[in-house]
Amino acid sequence: MQIDQTELIWLDEHHEVSLDELIELSGLSQQELNHLVEIGALAPNNPTEEDLAASELRFNSHCIVSIRTLARLKSDFELEQNALGLTLVFLERIRNLELQLRGLESTK
Amino acid sequence: MKFKDYYETLGVARTATVDEIKKAYRKLAHQYHPDVTKDPAGEEKFKEIGEAYATLKDKEKRAAYDELGRHPSGQEFKPPPNWAGSQGGQEYSFEDVDFADLFAGFSKGRQHSQQRHNMPIPGQDYELTTQITLEDAYQGITVDLSFTVPEHDHQGQLKRVPHTFKARIPKGVTNGQKMLLRGKGGKGFHGGPDGNLYLNISFIPHKLFRVVEHDLFIDLPLTPWEAALGATVKVPTLAGEVNLKVPAGTSSGQKLRISKRGMPKFNQEHGDLYAVTQIVVPTSLTDKDRELLQALASSSTFNPRAHFE
Repeated sequence: MQIDQTELIWLDEHHEVSLDELIELSGLSQQELNHLVEIGALAPNNPTEEDLAASELRFNSHCIVSIRTLARLKSDFELEQNALGLTLVFLERIRNLELQLRGLESTK
Repeated sequence: MKFKDYYETLGVARTATVDEIKKAYRKLAHQYHPDVTKDPAGEEKFKEIGEAYATLKDKEKRAAYDELGRHPSGQEFKPPPNWAGSQGGQEYSFEDVDFADLFAGFSKGRQHSQQRHNMPIPGQDYELTTQITLEDAYQGITVDLSFTVPEHDHQGQLKRVPHTFKARIPKGVTNGQKMLLRGKGGKGFHGGPDGNLYLNISFIPHKLFRVVEHDLFIDLPLTPWEAALGATVKVPTLAGEVNLKVPAGTSSGQKLRISKRGMPKFNQEHGDLYAVTQIVVPTSLTDKDRELLQALASSSTFNPRAHFE
């Protein structure tokens, strides 16, 4: 069976997913994702009041990776909602540091 | 299938309370959770721990597990004929399934018995890593993906079924890129959506090039005289050799940029190729070489350590 490219979603900084897709793919609820947006741990690409009200927020698709990790950690360690934002901030920081480290190792 | 001693996995007695089981699980989870530890064996170990915990924390699953009796871990094992029927109202062939499938199946059987059989259950997500070469990533490649998933057949029996298909990885992917193939994970139950497949792209290390996002780096060895006098040298790229002009007075560790000779991007642009200069001296000198170098040493006033003074 050949999979055409429409079935394949890039998880990176150049592609977007909607809030509904993020709910479906991440394993977190809308309420939990809204909480992450409200406290600034998860940054939508279009954070206007109208978008927020209409739940039409869009996010870089790479956040699916961190949000799925967060959902796994929440389930496996029984994390409370208040811990989710902090954990996501640290996950993103680790991701960026690992990216920088990979760059430094390759260019030295 | 091989028996698994879930109590041994969690390091608790068979008489352990739910709290003791939870405490043991949490301690092991901090040690082996794949999102926490860097131990490459952690993921497999945590899978065993999570499987044991999922069964032992659930009163009914634990009772069903205890009913199977005590056997050494790894021993060939087959549940008694009426075991699954008595627990979940569903029969299994016990062929081609592993111990974890048994309790996943039991859970679904129990849901069946609780007359929730019409409730859609989404299929399981899977994650695979595929290794490709830089050349593959440069041009795009079709890869064969294969893994096994537990599925119910027409008789409702649980079996491990191979999932094999081809996926086209377009040019423009980066090392560590993740991609999502919707609906290519485990089958959903009762009309639930099929799970997704998360694909990690990993580049096989290249003998010449290092890659950072879409830029490539190559070490460019130069003779001392090429570095001092300047030279035009041939540099390999993934699209064939190019001539690179090395300016006079080049030192080691300088990065000479060759524009648009890096990896392709998803939007048809290209990253750059950086040649990182390395000044290399001959390990053995001919008499003539030595004579010329000694002449240079005597006449040159260059002092690379002037800043020490």
